[in-house]
Amino acid sequence: MIQNPFDYVRATTLSEALAALAEFRREAKLLAGGHSLLPMMKLGLAEPSVVVDIRHLRDLDYIDDAADHVAVGALTAHRTVETSPLVQTSVPLLAHVAAHVGDEQVRARGTVGGAIAHGDGASDLCAAALALRATVVVEGPPGRRQIAIDDFFVGYLETALGPDEMIVELRVPKVPGAAWSFQKYRRRHLDWAIVGCAAVRDPDRGLGVGLVNMGSRPTRAVEVETADRRGADITEASDLVAAGCEPPSDLHASAEYRVELARVLVNRALDACRVA
Amino acid sequence: MRAASTTTTTSTSTSSAGAATVAPTEPVTGGLGDSPLRPDGALKVQGRFAFSSDDRVDAMLHGATLRSPHAAARIVRIDIAPALAITGVRAVLTASDVPGTLTYGLIDDDQPVLADGVVRYQGEPVALVAADHPETARRALGSIVVEWEPLPVVADPDDVIAGTARELHPRGNVFRRQDVACGDQELVGEVRVEGTYEIGMQDQAFLGLEAALGIPDPDGAGVELFVATQWLHEDRKQLSACLGLAPERVRLTLSGVGGAFGGREDLSLQVHTALLALHTRRPVRMQYTREESFFGHVHRHPATIWMRHHADRDGTLRRVEARMVFDGGAYASTSHAVLFNAITHAQGPYRCLNATVEGWAVRTNNPPCGAMRGFGVVQACFAHESQMDRLAEACGLDPVEVRLRNAMVTGDRLITGQVVDSVAPVERCIRETVALPMPPDGPGGDAADPRLLPGGVGLTTDAAHVRRGVGFGVSIKNLMYSEGFDDYSTARCRLADGVATLKFATAEVGQGFVTLAQQIARTRLGVSDVVLEPIDTSIDSSGSTSASRQTWMSGGAVDAACRAVRSRLLDAVAQRHSIEVEALEIVGTDVVSADGSLRVPVTEASAGLVIDESAHYRHRPTVEPDAQGQGDSHVAFAFVAHRAVVDVDPELGLVRVVQIATAQDVGVALNPLSVRGQIEGGIAQGLGLAVMEEIVVRDGIIRNPSFTDYLLPTALDAPEVVVSLVEEYEPLAARGQGSRRAAVHIGNTGDRCRDPQRDRAPDRPYAGATPGHLRMTTGPRLHLWEVVVDCAEPAVLAAFYAGLCGCEPHRFDDEWYWIEPASRGGGVADAGGPRIAFQRVPEPKVGKVRLHLDLGTDDLEGAVRRAVSLGAGRLGDPVTDAAGSFVVLADPEGHEFCVVTE
Repeated sequence: MIQNPFDYVRATTLSEALAALAEFRREAKLLAGGHSLLPMMKLGLAEPSVVVDIRHLRDLDYIDDAADHVAVGALTAHRTVETSPLVQTSVPLLAHVAAHVGDEQVRARGTVGGAIAHGDGASDLCAAALALRATVVVEGPPGRRQIAIDDFFVGYLETALGPDEMIVELRVPKVPGAAWSFQKYRRRHLDWAIVGCAAVRDPDRGLGVGLVNMGSRPTRAVEVETADRRGADITEASDLVAAGCEPPSDLHASAEYRVELARVLVNRALDACRVA
Repeated sequence: MRAASTTTTTSTSTSSAGAATVAPTEPVTGGLGDSPLRPDGALKVQGRFAFSSDDRVDAMLHGATLRSPHAAARIVRIDIAPALAITGVRAVLTASDVPGTLTYGLIDDDQPVLADGVVRYQGEPVALVAADHPETARRALGSIVVEWEPLPVVADPDDVIAGTARELHPRGNVFRRQDVACGDQELVGEVRVEGTYEIGMQDQAFLGLEAALGIPDPDGAGVELFVATQWLHEDRKQLSACLGLAPERVRLTLSGVGGAFGGREDLSLQVHTALLALHTRRPVRMQYTREESFFGHVHRHPATIWMRHHADRDGTLRRVEARMVFDGGAYASTSHAVLFNAITHAQGPYRCLNATVEGWAVRTNNPPCGAMRGFGVVQACFAHESQMDRLAEACGLDPVEVRLRNAMVTGDRLITGQVVDSVAPVERCIRETVALPMPPDGPGGDAADPRLLPGGVGLTTDAAHVRRGVGFGVSIKNLMYSEGFDDYSTARCRLADGVATLKFATAEVGQGFVTLAQQIARTRLGVSDVVLEPIDTSIDSSGSTSASRQTWMSGGAVDAACRAVRSRLLDAVAQRHSIEVEALEIVGTDVVSADGSLRVPVTEASAGLVIDESAHYRHRPTVEPDAQGQGDSHVAFAFVAHRAVVDVDPELGLVRVVQIATAQDVGVALNPLSVRGQIEGGIAQGLGLAVMEEIVVRDGIIRNPSFTDYLLPTALDAPEVVVSLVEEYEPLAARGQGSRRAAVHIGNTGDRCRDPQRDRAPDRPYAGATPGHLRMTTGPRLHLWEVVVDCAEPAVLAAFYAGLCGCEPHRFDDEWYWIEPASRGGGVADAGGPRIAFQRVPEPKVGKVRLHLDLGTDDLEGAVRRAVSLGAGRLGDPVTDAAGSFVVLADPEGHEFCVVTE
C-alpha cells in the first residue's frame, strides 16, 4: 500500500516533463514503467508529493543506429531492446541482458531510462552498461549533457542526475565482434540476481566487467580489468574481484558468500570471453 | 502378484457374488477407482470459484488487526480514542471486550484472543478495528497508541531446557517432555554413526489468504461465520467459548479454501471477525494481507535433532538414540501431538528393537508452530534418513541396500511396542522406486533448454560445471489422530428419484474429498447424479481435514450412509416384486436379482421414494502412551520411498532437482488422478523445505514475511515426478464398512542433495563443497521378489513350510500367507532369496509341478524326517549327483519339492 498521498501530473512532451521537474524539483518523481518507483513508494523508500507521468513521451521510445554506437531512447522498453535486430547484432550483450530482466510482462513495461535512473546495485542493465562503457544523455533547463557511465552511479540509489534533469538516451558503443558473457546467480527462477556479472572483451576497448549486487551501487570490477590489461591469467584476475566491492549481506547471501560467487562467476565469464 | 489378489478381494467387496452371473448393462461412470473430474475443478481453472476472500454482502464493515511489533513486551497502556474519533470507524476492541474465555487453543487453550497486558510473539493481535472501508480500518490501526515495555526475548529452545529462560506463560515453558524407550538401553553397536540435524521453520504458504465473513443474528445473540478452515466443529467449539455463546448460536459454513496444509487447523481471524460482527451488529469481513498471513497462522516447527544409530557390521540396525527439540513458539497449538509423531517415528520405516528417545517441545518468543503437512514426521525423517546414509557409508553398503536390510514388514514392532499389523510394503516401495526410469537426459539436461540447468535461464552454469547425484529417502507416517483421541466422522445420504444427495461437514481444502464422496455414492447406489449440500455445522462433526484421515474417516461415513440407503432401497424393491432381499443387489446402474430375472434401473426403483440415512464412522481405539512412550497409540501407517536425481554446480552450490521418483503405499487408489495430484503437491512442498523455503527468525522477529524473500518454488523449479502407486489392500479400513483407503500423501520426505557437513534443511547454498557422497546413477534392476504357490488351503501349507524351515508363517488374510527369509524379517534361516507365498485358488493341482522348491540343508535325513512328521509324503530315495544329494517329497497338497544338501 502506498501510504503517502501525492499529486499526479501527466506530461505529454519532454518540455512539459522538464517544466514539472523544474517546478517541483526533489518533491517530484518521474513515472515511466513504474517497476522501480511503485515498489519504492509502497516500501516508503520514496515519498514524492508529485508523480510526473512521462509514459506518453513516445518520442523517447526508439533505438537508432548512430555510426559507432546504438542510441536507445530513455522510454524504450526492455522487451524492445531484447528483440531489436540492431542491438542483437551490434551489442549482443545488451540484448541478452535485457532478456533477463524480470519476466515478459515486466520487460514490456520497464524502461531502459528508468532502470539506469534508478541506479540499483542489483540491476542487470546497469552492470551491462558499465561493462559496455555506455554514455548517459540527460536533459535539463540548461540543455543536454553527456555523462560517462562511470560517473553516473554515485551512491545507494543515487545518481549524477540533477533534480531538474531526466535521462533522454543511453548511448552504447557497438561491439559487434566482441566476446561477451552474462552470469546471473539466483536460487529461484525470475528472482533478482544474488550476484551477477556482465563481461565483454572488445579488441579495441579491452575487457569490461560490471557486477550485479556487489555494492550499494552498480560496480565495475576495476582490479579485474586492470589485471587483465597487464596480462594476468583468468584465475589471477578473477581472484581480485573483491577489491573495491562492498557487497551487502542479506537473508539470501552473506557478503563473504557474494565475494566467492563473484569470483566464480567472473572466472567463468572471462573464460567465455577468451574464445571470441 | 499380491496386487492381483488384492484386486479380486476388493472387487468382491464392491459388487459381491451376483456380479459373476449378472453383467451390468449400464456401468457406473465416475465411481470408485475412476478419476472423474472434480466438481470444483472447472470453476477453479476458469477463475470462477469463490474463495473465502470473495465472500461479500451489502453494508458490511471491514475488520483489521493491530499486531505487536515486539516479540516480547508488556503493554503499559493502550489508547484507542484516536481511532474511534476517525469518521467511518465503527468499533475498536481490545482484550477487555472479549465476552467469554480470553484464550483458545486446539489442545491447550493458552493463546489469548487479544493480548491481555503482555505479548509473547511478533504479530500477536492486540486490538481490532471495524470500519466502513478497509483503508479507514488500516488508518485507524495506525492511530491507536500503545505504550510498550519490551521484555527479554527468549528465542533459543536450549535456554528453556536449561532452565535459564524466564517464565513466559503461567502454564510454563515446556509444552511436552516425552521419552520413548524400549529394549536394551545400554546396547552399543559394532558400528555407530551420529549427527545433529536442523530443520527450518516452513510456511504453509497457501495462496488463499485468511478471510472470513461474519454475519450477526438480528437479535445479536448468535453469529454466522463463513470461513476457510480445516475443521468447522472444532472452530465452533473454541469460538463459542470465547464469544460466551452456546455452540448452537454459532453457525459455520465452509468458504472456498485456497490451500491449508495444516495452517488452517488453528483459529486465526475467526473469533475476531465474529466479535466485531456481534459488537457492531453489522456483517464484518476480514482478510489478511500476505505479510499479515505470515503472522496469522502457525508454521512448521523448527527442530534440532541429535541421533546416534547402532548397527552390526552388516548394517543391521540394533539401537537408535535420539534427542529431539521442537521449538513450539509462543503458544501451544498442536506442539504436543507434533512432538509425539516425531519421537515415535525416530527409527523410520525400519526394524529396530532398542531405542532411547528424548523429546522436548518448548515455548519461546518465536512465532507459534503447529500443524503442517507431515506433522512432526518430516523433521524425524530428515534426521533418520541422513543417518541411514551415514550408516551405509560406515558399513560400506549401498544406501539402498542398507535400507532394504532393515525394511520394516507387517508384524514388526515400532519403538513404542506397537505391532504394525497393517500392510507395510517398505521393501516393495524401495524396490519399485529404484526400478522407476531415470531422467532421459544426462547431467545438465537437454543442452538446448537452459531452464533445465541449476540456476535456470540465468545461464550461470553449463553442463560442464554440473555434476549429478542420486539420493534416497524412505519414510513411515502414522495416519489419523493418535493417543486415545475419540475420532469420528458423520455423513448423511438421501436418495430420491435416482438422485443421491450427500451432506457432511468435511472441509474440502483442495484434497478432493468432494470428488471422492460422489464416487462412493455412485458406486454404492448406481446413480449418476450426486448432489453435495453446503459444508457446514448443521450436521455433526466430520473431524479435521488433516492427519491423512478424511478419505478413510469421512469416506467411511459416506460409505456407511450410502450402504444404509442401498439396503433400504433393496428392501423396497424386494417387497414390490416379492423377491428375497438377499437375492438383490446393485450392479452398474441397475437393481438386479442373482438369477437375472429382475433388472430395474436405480432411477426407476427409487422413483417416488425418499430414503434418508445418516452414519457415523469411527476408527479403532488407540491409547495414551506410558512414561516410556509405550502403547498402541497410532491407528495405522503408510510408507513411501523417494529417489531424488539432483544436478549440482558444486562451485556455486546451485541445485536443481531434476526428478523425483517415488513408490508410495497408498492402500487402494480410489481416485488415481487425485492420488497422483497429492503426491506431486507433497513433493513440491518437500522440495521447497529441502532447498528453498524457510521463515528466517532472528530474536523473535520474522525477517522475510513476503514471497519476495520467502522463496517458494515456481513451476520452473519443480522436478519431473515419476510415480508408482503401491496398492495393497488395507484390512483395517476394510473392517465393517468395506471402505478402502486411498492415499493422502505422506508429508515431505525432504529429498535432498546435501553437503555432509551441513545437516540442515533447507540447505542454503554454499560454495566450494564437493558432493562426493552422491551416488552415481544406476539402471533399472529386476530381482526375484517372491515365489507364489497356488493351493487350496494357504494356512495349512504355510504352516507346513514354516514348520519345516523353523519360522512363523505370516498371514495377510485367509487367502494369502507367506514365509520369508530372516534377512527380510522372516524366520527362514538363510541369507537372502525371495519369500514364499501361498495363495488360495479354486482350481486343483493337475500333474507334476513345473516349478518346484529346493530347500537346502546340511542334514538330509533329519530334514526329510521333519517334513514327513509335518505331513509330507516321501516320493523317493536320496539321489546323489554332481551338485549334491536330494530327496523328492510332496507337501500336504501334493506339490513336489526337494530337500537338498547345499
